[in-house]
Order: sequence, then C-alpha cells, then structure tokens
Amino acid sequence: MALPLAQELIFGLVIGSYIALGAIGFTLVYGLVNMINFAHGEFITIGAFVGYLAVVFGGVSLPVALVVALGVAAVTGWAIARLTFEPMNDAGAVPLLLMSIGLGLVLRNGMRAIAGPDRRNVPVAVTTYRFDDLGFFVTSNQLFIIGVTLFVVLVLHLFLSRTMVGISMRATADNERLALVSGIDTRQIRNAVWLAASGLAGVAGVMLAVSQSANPSVGFGQLLLIITAAILGGAGSPYGAVAGSYLLGVGIAVSVAFLPADIVALSSTMAFAILIVVLLVRPGGIANTEVRTS
Amino acid sequence: MSRLELPAIDATRAGLVLFVASIAFLYSPIFIRPPSGTFVFLELAVLFLLYALILIGLNLQFGHTGLVNFGPVAFFAVGGYAAAILTANDPYRAVGLGFAWPVGLVAGVLAAVALGVLLGFSTLKLRDDFLAIVTLAVAEIIHGLTITFRDITGGSIGLQNVPRPIADMTGGGGGAELFATIVVLGSVCLLAYGVFHRLSASPYGRVLRAIRADEQVTETLGKRVFRYKLVVFIYGAAIGGLAGALLVFYNGAASASFFTIDVTVIVWIGMLIGGAGSDRGVLGGLALIMGFQLLTRFFNDLLPFVTQDQFASIRLVLVGLLLMLVVKYRPEGIWGTAEELEVES
Repeated sequence: MALPLAQELIFGLVIGSYIALGAIGFTLVYGLVNMINFAHGEFITIGAFVGYLAVVFGGVSLPVALVVALGVAAVTGWAIARLTFEPMNDAGAVPLLLMSIGLGLVLRNGMRAIAGPDRRNVPVAVTTYRFDDLGFFVTSNQLFIIGVTLFVVLVLHLFLSRTMVGISMRATADNERLALVSGIDTRQIRNAVWLAASGLAGVAGVMLAVSQSANPSVGFGQLLLIITAAILGGAGSPYGAVAGSYLLGVGIAVSVAFLPADIVALSSTMAFAILIVVLLVRPGGIANTEVRTS
Repeated sequence: MSRLELPAIDATRAGLVLFVASIAFLYSPIFIRPPSGTFVFLELAVLFLLYALILIGLNLQFGHTGLVNFGPVAFFAVGGYAAAILTANDPYRAVGLGFAWPVGLVAGVLAAVALGVLLGFSTLKLRDDFLAIVTLAVAEIIHGLTITFRDITGGSIGLQNVPRPIADMTGGGGGAELFATIVVLGSVCLLAYGVFHRLSASPYGRVLRAIRADEQVTETLGKRVFRYKLVVFIYGAAIGGLAGALLVFYNGAASASFFTIDVTVIVWIGMLIGGAGSDRGVLGGLALIMGFQLLTRFFNDLLPFVTQDQFASIRLVLVGLLLMLVVKYRPEGIWGTAEELEVES
C-alpha cells in the first residue's frame, strides 16, 4: 500500500526542522530584546561555514561539527550583539531593526568577499532507507536533521520550564519591568538569549549546509521563511515558532507535490502571502501572543 | 501696499517654470550634446533623479509620519511594469498593448495608487516593525511575481520596445537625449519636492509629525490618524509609481533587474544619512550614497588584485557599516534635527 503523502511529509518535516531552529532563535530575540533581527540569517550562515570547515578541514564527524558550530555561532552571535545591539537597547524597535539590516549587509557581504559566492557541499555519508511498498524513502541525513531538532526542542522545553534562567527568561519576555523589579538581571537574561538564539541558528546552519550547501546567502535565503514561521506561530512564543515552522515546512512540501509546476515557482511568494494574511487576520499567530504596541 | 513684493523663490513655482521650459526645450529643434566622457555621470544623475522621486514620497511617509515602509520598490516596480505593459510594441516574449505613452504614464501612477490603497487599508493598523515586514514581503512578492509570470512581464529578460518619448522628441542623438532627460526629470523632481515640502510645512504636516510622535494623543485631539496615514501612504505610492513609469520611458524597457531590493536599500540609507524628516537633507543623503558608489567604482580599477565580485561585496560591507554608524552615532542624520525626530544623539 503506497502512502501518497508520506514522502512529502518527510520533506516537509526536514524543511520545517531547520526553519524551526532559526525561528526559535528569532522569536526569542523578538520576545526578549523586543527587536526584529534582520541579521539572524547571517548567524545561520556563520553556523553553515563553521560546520563546513569542521567537517572538511577538521575531519570531524557530523555530530561533532554540530556541537562545534553551536558553540562558535553562539559566542560569535553574542559578541556581535554585545557590540551592536546592546548599547542601543533603549532606542526602540525601529532603530534596532535598521541596525540589524546594516549588520546583515556587513556580515553577508563580508563572508561573500572572503569565501566567494560558491556553493560548498558538505561531504557526508548518506544511507537511504527505502520503504518501497509504502512508497517513500528516508535518508540518514533527514532522520538526523529531524531527530536533532526534536532533541533541541525537548532541551529547550526543559530549559524554559525547569531552570532558573529559563523561567527568568519567560518572566522577562512577559513583562520586562516587572521582571527587573523582581530582582531579575535582565541584562544577563539578554546575554543568555543572544547565546541561545545564535547557537540554535548555528545548528540550523549546519543542517542547511548538509541538506543544501554552505554559501554566503544560505541563511539570508531562509530569513523571510523564518520570520513567517515565527509570526505564524505567534511572535515571541518559542512553542508557537516550532508549530509554525512545521506547518510552513509541510505546507511548502505538499504544495510542491500537488500544485502545477507554474504555481510551485510561487511557493516562496505564497509564504509571504501567508505571512501577510496571518498578520492581518490574527497578528498573535497560533499561540495568540499579545502584540505589544511598542 | 505699493511696495513691490518679490515672491520668495519657491520650489513649486520654480519647478513649474522649469517644467514648462523643459517641455518647450523638448519641442524646440535645439539640443545640447554633452561630451561623451560625462555619460557615466549623466546616467547616474538620471537614476538619482528617479530615486529622489521615490525618496520624496518615502520621506513624507517615514520622515514626517513615521510609517516604516520597507517596500518603496514595490510601487516603483508596479508603476514601471504597468506603464511598460500598456505601451510596449511587440515586446520579446511578453505582453505589450502598444498604447501611447501618456496612457502608460497615467496607468503606472494609478496602478501604484491601487496597490497603495490595498496595502494601506489592510496594514496601516499594524505596529511599526510589523508594517516593515509586511511592506518588505509585498516587495518580495511583486519581485517574485514578475519573475514567475514571465509570459506577461518577460521575466529576467524583461519587456523591450517601450516607447522613449523624451529620446524621440530630442533630435541630435549621441547623448542629447540624456541631457534632455535630465532637464525634464530635474524639473519634475523640483516640482515634486516643492509640492511635498509645502505639504509637510503646512498645518497638515504638523498633524503628520504629531502622529509620528504619538498616535493616541493625536487621535484624542480629533484627528483621524488612520485616514492621514492612508493618504500619506497613497501619496508616496503615487510618486513611486510615477518614478517607475518614468524609468521605463527613459530606458525603453522594463526588467526585473531594475526593481530589486537594492533600490529600497539605497533610498532608505540615503534618507537615514541625510536625516529623515529633513526634506532637503534626505536628497543630500541620497546624493552622498550614490556619489559614494560612483567613487568606489573608480577605486576598483586602482586595485587590480581584488576581483569585481569581491569589490561589489566590499562596497556593500561599507554601505552596511555606514548605516550602522549613522543609526548608532547620529540617528538624526547629517542634516536632521534631533529634537524634531525625538531621538537621542
């Protein structure tokens, strides 16, 4: 018995997985620093290149490369944020947004000037598991990507619900002033957020490098999808971001399979259309977060 | 009352006079052929004047009213494509209806206005940074549509054989049409500057700045904030569409490569450097950023060991760095005033 949807579902889960890791970071930054970070895609690109370098020149296995990219991207992203965004934290949403656009230009083109525009493939051994009677196949890479994302989501859930830092983070996202007078050092919380957000972006970068390639605009290419997923889920809500990402990923994969080829070329356009509709109909997204008027 | 009152030189009047003069210049058999060495600068000047038109609208939207429109290129593109599709004669693999150019010009403006109405009605109630995302997404959607529906728009090849009224009316050739284009566009620009400057200097403009400062207070004072925002959004859309139509009539073609996100980036950075809200300052900022790009083009020839692709990247790094420095150290821009923008420098 062939399951017509099974194959698309797998592709969708893979797409949803790396969008999810990007979207969690994006939405955490949105919720806690109260800014839309247009340079988030570049943090992903950093992860992609670190993963590529670790596998090709470091000769390490993929899981190790993932950890290396997590660490390097986290520290790099945090350091960049300390230099650029932190000093103007009180300037308001629009100046921070403009700052991130400038930063994105600098990082993206800086990497392009150094690495060149080429697409670099990460060589990893791939095993394909075929289920011909069910009509789908799945590769070890795809299982790895989905598995890592689920693991990360689980860790994130435990972190947000069981650790003091995680709980303070949720408190700060909910009401920064109240958190501050309750004795939470919101500056430390912002540091933690930048570390977490850029670390997760680094992991997403390695996944993109494996499933597509490492190139200077790999992260930027995902940015609008990530923003869409984060807003679809409810900007500021990490759980919503995960739900929004998988919904978007599966939606893209299924529409590619069932719609005529002309419309498929529109799939990214469709994602933006979804984004606009969500903002108009239910700006709070799936999680129905409160949309603050800055 | 017998004292002779000299009217102050006003951009609107000067623009009108210059516009009439430039039309007379077009119809006259006179032409001026600039030396060929200046073509690089003149072509850039044409582009500057077109971007300046977009910027004049954007400055009213963001500088005066505080609407974060990250998709000015959308209106530029819609105006350009509407004009090109209506007027092109037998374009290569695209739709061309072959109407006269004034039809295209009007249609370009109307199409951009229609998009402005649609977008304004649906999105202007969102908060600042969400509006930024929606307008950015709309610009990307329009760019995607022009590539996807290549049977209509010609895709990345574009629409050819669009009429070039200014070039056709200018005799001479060999750069004479370039000079004539600058004269006409310059007068249009001056006129637009004058009209928009009058608007922002009037009590109407004060309401706009009140909206930028605090929407709720303005609403409490009995001003219909949403209607003001919508109208301002539409003004910007109209002038962006006009610029797009003028671009295709200058080039004789429309192509997706004219209407990329780079236009948005340049216009925004020009506005921020010059000082959002300062009508003259933003144009100065645009001149600075476009001059900077021209200057770096010459530098590339001096550094043979840097490839062209690398150089393009480095230039964008510098542009990004400039944006970051301005946002951080001089948020009011070079000619803007900090008190008026309510930013801390």
